[in-house]
Order: sequence, then C-alpha cells, then structure tokens
Amino acid sequence: MKEKEPGLALACVGINHRTAPLPVRESMWFSVDELPAALRRLRESRSRECILISTCNRTELYYVPVPGEAPAVPAWQFLASLKRHEVPPGPDNFYHLTGLQPVKHLFKVVSGIDSMVLGDVQITAQVKDAYTAAIEHGTTGTITNRLFTAALHVGKRVRTETQIGEGAISVSYLAAELATKIFADLSKRTALLVGIGETGKLTARHLASRNLGHMVIANRTFSAAEKIAPLFGGRAVPFDSVAAEIPGVDIIITAVQTSRPILTMADIAAAMKMRSNRPLIIIDLGVPRNADPLINSIDNVFLHDIDALNRIIDLNVAHRRAEVPKAQKIILEELNVFYRWTRTIALGPTFQDLRDRFEAIRGQEVERIRHRFSEAERGELDILTKRIVNKLLHTPMTNMRNGRGSSDHQDTHKKISLIRHLFGLDKQL
Amino acid sequence: MRFFITTLEIVLPALYFATVWVYGKAFFAGNPRAAGLRRVLLTSTVATHLVYVVIRTILLEHFPITSFFEILSLISLTVSLVYLYIELRTDNRETGYFILMLPLFFQIISSAFIRDYIQVPPALRGNLLGFHVSSALLGYAAITISAAYGLLYLMLYHDIKSNQFGVVYKRLPDLETLERMSFAATFVGTILLTVAITLGVVWLPRAIESFSYADPKLFGTIAVWVVYVFGLVAKQAAGWKGRRMMVVTVTGFVLAVVSIAVTTILPYGFHKFGR
Repeated sequence: MKEKEPGLALACVGINHRTAPLPVRESMWFSVDELPAALRRLRESRSRECILISTCNRTELYYVPVPGEAPAVPAWQFLASLKRHEVPPGPDNFYHLTGLQPVKHLFKVVSGIDSMVLGDVQITAQVKDAYTAAIEHGTTGTITNRLFTAALHVGKRVRTETQIGEGAISVSYLAAELATKIFADLSKRTALLVGIGETGKLTARHLASRNLGHMVIANRTFSAAEKIAPLFGGRAVPFDSVAAEIPGVDIIITAVQTSRPILTMADIAAAMKMRSNRPLIIIDLGVPRNADPLINSIDNVFLHDIDALNRIIDLNVAHRRAEVPKAQKIILEELNVFYRWTRTIALGPTFQDLRDRFEAIRGQEVERIRHRFSEAERGELDILTKRIVNKLLHTPMTNMRNGRGSSDHQDTHKKISLIRHLFGLDKQL
Repeated sequence: MRFFITTLEIVLPALYFATVWVYGKAFFAGNPRAAGLRRVLLTSTVATHLVYVVIRTILLEHFPITSFFEILSLISLTVSLVYLYIELRTDNRETGYFILMLPLFFQIISSAFIRDYIQVPPALRGNLLGFHVSSALLGYAAITISAAYGLLYLMLYHDIKSNQFGVVYKRLPDLETLERMSFAATFVGTILLTVAITLGVVWLPRAIESFSYADPKLFGTIAVWVVYVFGLVAKQAAGWKGRRMMVVTVTGFVLAVVSIAVTTILPYGFHKFGR
C-alpha cells in the first residue's frame, strides 16, 4: 500500500513535541474559546472540510484542499497566522502530510504511540472533542467524517485490545493510583501533604482529581502551606503538628529534606491504634527518606518510597513499549479498511457520470418512440427502461466498488480511465 | 434420562474448565474476546448444572444431598450461582477466575466419584429437611466465596506491601471493596450456618432415629461456625480489620473443607445416608 495517495484529497499540517520546543508549542495552542474563530477562518479561506486538534503537545490541522486552487501561502504559514506570536514559528517546526499519510498519522496519534507519554490515555478524548467542535461549526465533510470516525475506532481498539495505556508512568500518578487500589472511595478519605515540592503537589493534584475528600498541608514555612491550601480545597497546619494529624488521615505524602525520619515507627504504631487499625498509605518522596522503612511491617500500613515507585514506573514503561507492535498491527488493519474506502470515493464521480450517460441515452430513445404509446403505457415504458438500465449498470459498478481482482490504487485509476474512455464520459453527447 | 445424567457428569467439569479458562485468559492476558465470552459461558454452565440437578432429582427421586459427592456438586452450583449474582450486581468480572476455580475443583471430584443411590431414608425425602440442607449449603457457598475474596485480598495486600505491581494489582478491585465483599459473604454465611445448626439440633432428633449430638459433622460445622462468629465479634469489639479478618475468613474455610473431608471418611455418624 502506498502512503502517498494522489487520489485522496487530504492533508495535515501540524506541530508537535518532536518538531518544536515548548515555547513554540505553547504559542500555537488553541483554547476552546479560540477554536470557533479559527475554524471559521479555515472554512472561509482554506477548505470546506477541516478539523483542528490542539493539545498541550500538538496542534494539527486536518483538511481537504480545495481542488485546482493554489493556496496563497503555505499551509504552515496559514496555521501560524491564526495565532499571534512574539516570535513566530518557522517552517522547520511544522510537518505537512498528504494523501494517506495524515490518516496513518492520526491513527498513531489517537493510539497514543505518537504521544510524548507513550500510551497517553487522554488523547482519544481530545481528538473526540476536536471532532465534536468541528461538527458543531459545520466544518466536517465526507472525508473528515470518515477519517475521524475511523480514528476513534482505532483508538478504542488499541485501548481494548492492547495494554499500551496500562500502568502509571509518573511518580505522582502512580502514588494517586496506589491510593485507589486501597480505598474504594477517595471522597471519604483525607490526605496529608508534608512539604510542597513539585512532585508532592502533583500527587496532591492527582488525588484531588480523583475526588479526594479532604487535604491537610504541612510545610516548614507555614505561610507557603497557607498559600497553596486553597488550591486543593484543604487546610494548612504547622509543620510541628504532623504527628498529631496522622490518626485522622488515610494518605500521607511526604517530600521534605530532613536528616532523620519525620515519620517514626512509634508514631505510626500509636496512630494505628488510635485509628482502629484502618489502612494507611504513606508515599515517601523524600531523599533521604522521610519515613522509617520498618513502618512497612505494621499491619494495614502501606509504605512506598521513591525508589520503589521508580522501579514500578520502569517496569510499566517497558510493558507499554512491548505493546507498541500490537497497536501498530491494529493501525495497519484499519489503514487497509480506510484505503479500500478511499477507492470507492474515487469511483463516485465516474459512477455518477456513467449513470447520467445511460439515463440520457434512455431518455432520448424513449422520447423518440413515446408518441407510439398510450398515456397509460408511457409510465410503464419509463419503469421498464429504467429497470433495464439499472440492471445493466449493477454488476460492473458492484465489481468496481469491491475491487475484485485488483488491489492497487493505480489499477483503480486505470479502470476509471478505461470506463470513461469506453463510454465517452468526458465527451458531450 | 440415565444417559443424560452420565453425559452431563462429563460435560459439567468440561464446561467449568472452559469457563475458568476464559476468565483466566481475560484476567491474565487481557484478551478482549475472552472478556466478552465470560458471562455467557458462566450463565450456560450454571444453567446446564441446574438442568443436571433437576434431572438427577427426578430420576433418583431425591434431592442430591445423600452423599458427599452429591453435596460437592450442589456446593459447586450454589457458589457459581452466588458468584454470578455478585457479578451481575457489581459488574466486576475480574475475580471470577479465582472464585470459579473452586466449583471447577468440586465438580471434577463430584463427577469422578458420584454414585446413584436409589435407597434413600424417608427422612431425606421430607420437605422440612430441605430448609436444613438448603441453609447449610448456601452457608457453605457463602463462606467459600468469602474465603475466595479473602484470599484475593491477601494476594493484593502482599503485592502492594512488597511493591509487586503485576497482573493481580492491575486487574483486581481495591482492597476495601474486596474486604467489603468478603465480609458481606461471611456475615450471610454465618447467619445461614446458624439457621442450619439450629434447625438440625431442634428438628433432626425428631426426624432421624439415629440422631446423636456426638455426630462428627455436627461438631465440624459448629467448629467452623465458632471461627466465623469469633471473627465477627473481633471485628465489632476489637476493631479487627483488613489482613487479620481475611486470615480468619480463610482459616474458617480451610477448617470447613477439612471437617467435611474428615467426616466423610469417618465410618460413623448419622449424616451417612446413601445405600
């Protein structure tokens, strides 16, 4: 199968984490509020069919070029012009794909194998949102509808038939996932964040996004804890009162620099008695460790330090990588299905011309002898002759559509040329 | 009719094996076709087992409770039925592989050794006995499921504690859910065993001449019942949770299996019926 298909009028221009640094990608990001205006401009000046995907790591425009019209500016320049930039991106930051290349690319994107985070689970929803926005603004058509429906199907197949999105691959996400493997409902749980380092805050954010009930934040600088507490709907407590808070919390995330553990065996053992032995999870992100490793020997206490979390992440990344060939196989299968569909749309205009030509001949011949029939018989004559035309056209059209005996796009074009020549479809009657 | 029974005795273990295999394939390999087939196969297996019990009851003119191997088959059916109910209620299909291993094991043993007893004491044909037997069977099915969830809890607990995040971690529900499911089954099982023991002690002396309070099965059942009641009291009074409670649950189940096996082997006791 050829990736560059002259027969498929489809193109994609885009920018992603492989072609552009973060500041450039940021400058090309379209918010939900900016999308309507961008889609309007695209439809007016570039193409009737266009869909714009914009995420934190990519902005891509899929469009059907207007036939016979040479664009005034290159596609990348047009896309860049939709945003205002202090430093405009250059042509090297963009990629331009045509024919079947955009199809394969979109299938890879929606599968998560083109993502910065391999197997990114959010991308399918983002592609779906972009497609929905385009439908709402009337910028989709035959080709883009088919493309995005097929892409979402690919995304679904990859998610269900492979394990490419399984296993957390960031410390903060894994820590939050661990909490959900112990507690059924986080909305009834309280977390204690000790230290407000970046990973600690990210973990707290992941927990909050999983509907965590309450958050308590302790930091050596109390004012800093007070400042970020409202972001998580939590409350700040003095650093010295960490031990006093333990009996009332279910999850502890510690990330402070300390020469000796701030969570000791005696503290946790006493707290477990006070909390009636309810499970307690401790995520120790500190180096040196903030929690005494012996704590893990207490019943219903689950202690995980940064090394343990990193080991799990390494395993998960390797597991995701091992799933890529399965995803690629699905992409290839669906690409073949899409390819077969593109052949039928290439045949569409010829079929229409053929039908019009037969209908014209039928109309002319019926008209010549119409006067020989009574008024009642003329209706039957029309029905009879139309039925003959339909039957004559049915078999060749079906065989052409199914591509019997041919698998090559050029072969399809040869057949189209032959039919047009045999029936004189490019000549006036 | 006889041909049907013999055929179903071969078909049932095969069906249970296929069901467990499909659940395992979905759990360990994440196979989507197996995942889609799981419930259909389980429902078919349970339906076939029900047909087997009905045909056997009609042909042999007694409910299949007259021998250890008949009871094993009934426990197999009740565990599968209760699991199917739980699966339908919770829509969680990931524990099926582990739970259904037990019915598979029980049914293989039952099919291999089951015999047809035609001469059954009149007491076993009475309807009142049905309450005693039904509550005991359902009680054992409930504690079997409770132990299975307890075992899953202990596996997941061990994996999380030791940072082994494999397929058990990925596929099983959270610890709290497993504990809740196990506790619910323990609670129901304990109540049903209480009913079975009470009915047995109050009613059976009047129905069975050879009744004796020194019956090994009565002792065994009471010992199992004591373990579960101890667990429930410890949870309520001493705040036992998590791993400790699951250990109690699994211990109770092991005791139940040992008790049934031993009382079956022993030559005396009024719970021996088949001829």
